[in-house]
Order: sequence, then C-alpha cells, then structure tokens
Amino acid sequence: MGKPKSDLLQGTLDLLILKTLDLEPMHGWGISQRIQQVSDSVLQVNQGSLYPALHRLEEQGWITASWQTSENNRQAKYYELTRRGRKQLAEEKDNWLRLSAAVGRIVGEV
Amino acid sequence: MARLWNSILRFLFRRPQVERELDAELQYHVDRQTELNVERGMAPAEARRNALIAVGGIEPLKDECREARVGRAIETLGQDLRYGVRVLRKNPGYSSAIILTLALGIGANTAIFSLIYGVFLRPLPYRDGGQLVVLHQNTKQARQSDIGFSPLEVADCAEHNHTLNGVVEHHAMTFLLLANNNAERVATSVVSVNFFDVLGVKPLLGRTFLPSDDNRTSAVLVLSYRYWQSHQGGDPNIVGRVFQMNNMAHTVIGVLPPIPQYPVESDVYMPTWQCPFRSNPHNIANRNFRLISHVFARLKPGVTGQQAQNDLSVVASQIYSAHPETYPAGAGLQIVADPLQSDLTHDARTAFLVLLAVAGFVLLVACANVANMMLARLLKLERELAVRIALGAGRLRIMRQLLTESVLLSVAGGALGLAVAPLSLKMLVGFASRFTPRANEVRIDGPVLLFTLAISIAAGLLFGLLPALTPWLNAGHSLHGARATATRGRQLLRASLVVAQVAVSFLLLIGAGLMIRSFHKMGAENPGFDPSHLLAMRISTGFSRYQDSISQRTLRHNIASKVSAIAGVRSVAFTSNPPFAPAGIIAGPGSQSFEIEGQPASRGAALPTVDLTVVDENYFQAVRQPLVEGRYFTGRDADDTPAVAIVNRTMARHRWPNEDPVGKRVNLGGQNWITIEGVVGDTREYGLQHPTLDELYLPADQAGGATSLVVRADATADALLQSVRAAVHEADPLLAIDQVNTLERFEFDSLTPSRLMTILLGIFAGLGVLISASGIAAVMALAVTQRTHELGVRLALGARHGAIVGMVVRQGLVLALCGTAVGALAAAVLARLASTLLYATSPTDLPTYAAVAVVFLAVAALACYLPARQVTAIDPLSALRQE
Repeated sequence: MGKPKSDLLQGTLDLLILKTLDLEPMHGWGISQRIQQVSDSVLQVNQGSLYPALHRLEEQGWITASWQTSENNRQAKYYELTRRGRKQLAEEKDNWLRLSAAVGRIVGEV
Repeated sequence: MARLWNSILRFLFRRPQVERELDAELQYHVDRQTELNVERGMAPAEARRNALIAVGGIEPLKDECREARVGRAIETLGQDLRYGVRVLRKNPGYSSAIILTLALGIGANTAIFSLIYGVFLRPLPYRDGGQLVVLHQNTKQARQSDIGFSPLEVADCAEHNHTLNGVVEHHAMTFLLLANNNAERVATSVVSVNFFDVLGVKPLLGRTFLPSDDNRTSAVLVLSYRYWQSHQGGDPNIVGRVFQMNNMAHTVIGVLPPIPQYPVESDVYMPTWQCPFRSNPHNIANRNFRLISHVFARLKPGVTGQQAQNDLSVVASQIYSAHPETYPAGAGLQIVADPLQSDLTHDARTAFLVLLAVAGFVLLVACANVANMMLARLLKLERELAVRIALGAGRLRIMRQLLTESVLLSVAGGALGLAVAPLSLKMLVGFASRFTPRANEVRIDGPVLLFTLAISIAAGLLFGLLPALTPWLNAGHSLHGARATATRGRQLLRASLVVAQVAVSFLLLIGAGLMIRSFHKMGAENPGFDPSHLLAMRISTGFSRYQDSISQRTLRHNIASKVSAIAGVRSVAFTSNPPFAPAGIIAGPGSQSFEIEGQPASRGAALPTVDLTVVDENYFQAVRQPLVEGRYFTGRDADDTPAVAIVNRTMARHRWPNEDPVGKRVNLGGQNWITIEGVVGDTREYGLQHPTLDELYLPADQAGGATSLVVRADATADALLQSVRAAVHEADPLLAIDQVNTLERFEFDSLTPSRLMTILLGIFAGLGVLISASGIAAVMALAVTQRTHELGVRLALGARHGAIVGMVVRQGLVLALCGTAVGALAAAVLARLASTLLYATSPTDLPTYAAVAVVFLAVAALACYLPARQVTAIDPLSALRQE
C-alpha cells in the first residue's frame, strides 16, 4: 500500500455516487472501482458502506435501479440518476465547492 | 408520500423478490472483486476471502441495506409483536396481573370519559347546536338569581335585539289529560309556535307547530317520543286523536323523534295560548308574572356569543329604564345569554371533572404499579439482555421491543377494561341524570373507543418507557456471571414509584374520606320534623275544578274522612308542597316578594322575598314541626276571618331580629295585610343539605292550593300507600296522584346524588389503595428475594427472624410514610378545588386526614408484613451456599 489514503467525509459518499452515476448508469462494484480510479486511489470507498448508501438513495428517489447485462455478460443491478437525483447532485456539488473553497482558503493562508 | 406508499407496498407484497435481488447484487460484487483479486495474483480461496472481508461480511451488509428501507420499521414491529406475545404467554401470571390492573384503570377511565363525552363534548342533537343560546334574567339577590321572564319581557327581547334569530319561550306545566275516564298527569311544555323550527327538530309523525296554530280556537298537541311509546303504545295512528285537557279538546298533530328534551323531559308540547295561565290577559299584562323559565334563541350567522350578550345588555337596559316601577335599580337585574351547551351541563361540571381526575389518578397508580412489575422482571431478564447485546443487538432495538411488549399489555388491558365499562354505565347514567338533562346521551361509541385506545397506548408507553430507560445495560457485568444486584439508581426508581403511587392513592382516599364525612354530616342534619311513619302524595285537581276555597275545603274533608278510616292512619294533613317531595327538591324554594309593615323598601330597592307554603290546620301537628311561639293554624282561620300567617324561626330572626314577630303584618301585593300569628321551628324541606331559608306559611282556607296529602301512620308499608291512594280516588276518581312515597324514602332519594358521588369516589379510592398495596407487597417481596443472601448472613450471625421481619416492614413503612406525607399535601391543595362538593366539611378536615392516614398505614403495614414473612422461610445455610 503505502499510498496516501483518506477517509471519506460524512455525506461525501452520496455526492461521489451521484456524480459517478451522472456519467453513465453503473452497478455497485463499478461505482466503487470508478471512484478509486478517478481519485488515483486516494479515496478508498468502503465497500461495506456503499450498498446501504445506494439503497438509501434509491429509497429517496434520487436514483433508480434496473437489471442489465454487464460488461462480463452477467446480470447486474445498474443504478442511474433520476431527474430529482440530478437536482440533488447540482445542489450537493455547489455545497461541496463552497465548502472546499472555504477550507482551501483557510488552509492555504497558514 | 406516493413514494412512501410504494416502498411500503413493495415491502409488504414483494419481499421475496427484494431479498433475491439483494442477494444477487451483493453476490455480483463479491464475484467481481474475487476475479480482480485473482488477476492480482491471489489464490482463488484467498481472493474470495479478501473480497468478503472488504464488504464486512454478506449477512451484516444485507441487514444494513434492509435498514435503509422504510418497510424495515414494519418488519421490526411485526417481529417485536410476535416475540412480545410469545413472552407474555410464557409468563401468564405476570401478564394477567398487569392486564387486570390496567383493565381496572382503563375501564374506569372509559366509563367516566363516556360520561364526560356524552354530557360535555357530544354535539347537541339539534341543527347547528353551537348557535343556540339560552337567555336568563338574573338578579343580584342571593335566594333565586334566575327569575325567568314575563311574556312582555320576552316580546321586548324578541323585538329589540339585533343579533338573534327566532326568540322562543318555554315553560313547564303539569296538566291533567283525560283519556278513557282516567285522569293522567302529563308533564307539559308550553312553547312558542316556532320553538321546534328554531331548534331545528323535525317530527317523526305528523307535523310540529305552525304559526296558524296560534289561532286561539283549536287546541293542538305534539307528543314526545317517550310518552308516545310508554303511554300511547307507539300507536302509528295517533295523529288526529283528541284528548280532553283543561276543559278543551286537544288534537294530536305530531310526534317528536327520540331526541333528548331540554330543559325538561316532557310528555306533551302545546302552543302558548293553550296554557290557561300564560293566556290569562291579566298575566300577559303583568311584567312581574315571570312564568317563562327558559328563552331559547339562535345567533344570527356570524354573530358571536359576546356580541349577542352586548346587544342584550342594551335591550335589557332599555326595558328596565322604560318601566322603573317594575325594575327597581337595587334589584340588579340583567339579561344574559349562555350557550345552550354550557347551560345544560353547568351543574354537572365540578362533579364530573372530579370524577375524571380521580379516574385518571387511578390509572396513574396502575401505571406505576405495572412499571414496577416490569422493572422487577427486567432484573430477571438482565442476563438474557446482556447476551443479546453482546451478540450485536442494538440497545435501541431492545428498548423498542420492551416498549412493544408494554403497549401490547396495555392494549390487552384496555380491551378487557372496555368489556367491563358498560357494566358501570347504567349506574353512571342514573347518576348523571341528577345533574344534567344530557345524561341520556351517554353511551360507549366511536369517540369513546378512540379515547380508550389512545389512553391504552399512552399508558403502555408511560409505564414501558420508565423501565426501558433505566440503566439496565450493565452488560459486561451480567455476563461475567456476577449475581444480578439491583443498582442503587434502580432501587431509587422503584422506591420513588412506590412513593408516588402511595401518594396518589392516599390522595384519593382522602377525597373519599372527605365525601364520606360530608355525606355523614348531611344525613345527620335535623330535618326539623319527624319523617318516620309519614307518607306523602301529590294530588292534582286540574285547573277546571276545585278553584275556590269552599270546594277545596270540601275536597280535603272528603279525602280526609276516607283516608282516616284506613286502619293504622293516625292523622291526615294537606299542604301545597310536601317536604322532601321530588317536585320541591327539583324546583327549590320559591321567591314571592312581599312587604313588611313598618319596613318599607327604600326607593329603587327590590322587595324582600320569601318561600310560601300553604298548609291546613292539621299539618304542623301531623309532621311534628314544633311551635316556637304564638299559635298553630286552626279551623277558624277561614276565608271570612282576618288573614293570618305563620313564619319559621329563620324568618323571625331575619326580619324581626330584636322584636316579637307575632302580631306583625306583611302583605304579598295589594292591600291585604296578613297578621303573623305564630313562629314554628325551621325545617330542611328542600333537602337536608340545603340550609333553611325564610318561610311563610298560609292557612289552606285563605290561600288555596294545599291539595297534596301527608299522612302519619303507625307504620309505613307499601300496602298502606296503596290503600291511601285508593281512598283518595274513592273521594274523586278524576284526581291525578303522583310522587307517592314515604318521607323517609323521599329523604333517602334527596341524598342520592351525594351518596352516589361518595360511593363512586369510594370505589375509585378503594381501587387505588388495592393497587398500590399490591405494589408495595410486590416491591417488598422482590427486596426480600434479592437480599436472601444478606438476610441469611444476618440469621447465621444470630439475628432473630422477628427482628429481620421488623426491619423489612420498617423499610416498607418508611416508603409508605413518605407517600402519605406527599399525598396529604397534594390533597390539601386539590380538595380545595372540589370544595363545592363538600357539605359542612373543610377540605383540610383534620379528623378525616388522621382517620384516613391510620387506615392507609394499616393497609400498608399489612402489605409489607405479608412478603416480609418470607424471611422466616430463609435457611441461613442454603442462602449462604447460593453464592
């Protein structure tokens, strides 16, 4: 390992999932892989918390699920954003940018 | 919302599919991760193991995913319910003790709430009952504040107000209805022709009154449902039948539906012109002829009660200033408009609210008891709970399950209580009817059932929450096999529960004690005459016969000679109002204004008033009302001799404080001065609890109306009542007789409301004491069981059994004493609120408090002693070996 690793901030997982699904519909395992790759393995999504989060988001109506054939020719549960989910993503993205900009200013000044 | 429903529906109907999909989804993830791990060079078995570790195990993960779903809550509830039922069925003694305790508490509350709901909360059975108001004309005078209205006053109110629709009048009369040569007394409501229209009552048969019925030629009647059923056999062809009343043919035009009748239950209704008194031109012209007892009106749309009141105050001041001779400023007259709803239930308020509070207290005591029982059980469950927590059960989950269990118990208790409540309803309705005409609307129906369900669940949460919140989760400790010892905090909680329930039940017992004492004092009042072996009946001649003093004298003579001939009759007398008779007790004393010679009322002041009773020359001797001064009436006080009167002692002291009233003169209007010839002792003829007021007695031959019969006999038996009644009818078969009874029974009846209230409070207090005594016993028993080891050591060291029993009892009694002290303080505060229910008893009556405390502590001592006796069964050796 030896790589720098960071625990996910509370609530950030929802944003990462929504953002990942914004690109294309994806199954759970794919989401975890994608987040890891895109973040250069800085963000290790705890696979144990990914699935409850997916179910919670589905319950809230931000994503929907359907069974499709996956890249290795098996049936997998694919999630995609709903209209409400897109709205939610935009909102959370704004929040995140504001927050990280503020934190960046403080940290940068020191 | 729709989404929530979808989730719930999916949970309910597609659970297997949801579960399968969850399995497949997670399986897919693990497979892919395993493949990836193999690609990275792991052995297949290890690759799979790592993939599983990465998700933290399939089963816990599945559980977390399920938690994220809404349907989860329902599933948990279902599990908890099934588990709860199983646990409760496994402990039948524990469960049935709790259910029984709660059934008593909830049953009592259901019964009382049905009373409160039926009387205070149920909408009036009229169209828009909330808009109906009752007008009263009140004076500041203490004797009778509500003086009623004269016809001219009603007309003025109807004409000059701007806020009311349809001002209608009502007064109750008793007339004789002749059918099949039989005279029958009918309670008659005399009403305006638009009375039923204003109230919004539609007839069951025929029609109600029309403006054309005010024609002064053809008399009509509307029958009440009850009278139609009971006296006319529910005859469907009753409309059109003709009865003789007051020397006129009356045609039945309609029958009312079975609605409660306000302000009184009547047999028949007639328009105002048919009442011989109301239609007499002299009376109509007389502003002081206030025959009309109730005036109803409907608020115009959008008008508030306060606006109507302001409007009426203006109308009243116009009336009063236009006729200053009739309305002296000093009388403090005013016209008020009360909502019909509150007017009908006004008398019941205090008594019913006290009952509601008391029933609530009983339920609180029951809840405290049940909480204590649950705490004790929790103690036994400690190990099981610790194991479950160690195996990963959430504390919240366990708490929820305990609460489910307690709500299950309380709902079962509520169901049982609901089954018991109807048994007490008949008695409660009888009780309520003494206070309010709405009593007949009391029944157990939808709103009452809802209330029962609500208090059942509330009670379950209340007594379930206490144990669930206590620090029972000393998990590690319990698991290590250490003997479950009660923590200090929990002991304190149980002790406070006992103190609280002792305090509340002591408070209830004080309440009952005060009522008993006050009832006893009431019963011990001297009526002022000798009611034993006296019987009385009301005789009505009707308004067409026996109108002059000579014919009345003949009638009295005829009746007296027939009745005297009956074996066992000692003396026969006549009066206008037999003492303790229901009619007098309901109506209360009258208020005839009069003038005292030499004491003219100052300008603008109201005349003094007095209650009038007309009696014949045998009356005082027959009832044994003692002569204080002067003389009794004699047969020579006739219509051709000077007018005379007798006053009671109260009036003598009140009106002539430093003088001899004998020889003084009064007049009752006009110039007919009446000389007072005697003073008799005071009586409590309007009920033992009502203090004596000024009373003026007039001789039968000079005043008229003394047609009710009082008979003193050697013994009073029902057979004698029958033969006296027969003798009266022998004298004249067309006389109506009612309110026949012995005076002792009338006296008993007059105390019935207080007696019932006392009994009800007694029952509730008894329940409270029983429940909290069992609570004390249970807590002491548990304490002894828990301390078996310690007590065994003490015994082994040589303590005597008796000393240890004493120690345990003492500890229990300390709790009881604390509770008693708190309860006594609470009682001293709360009893004041209900002091109107008490008679000649202070809310802090010391003897009552002392007596109740002695009784209560004796019960508490017994409740401590019984479980403490277990100590004698402790074998020191085996107790020591237990460890």
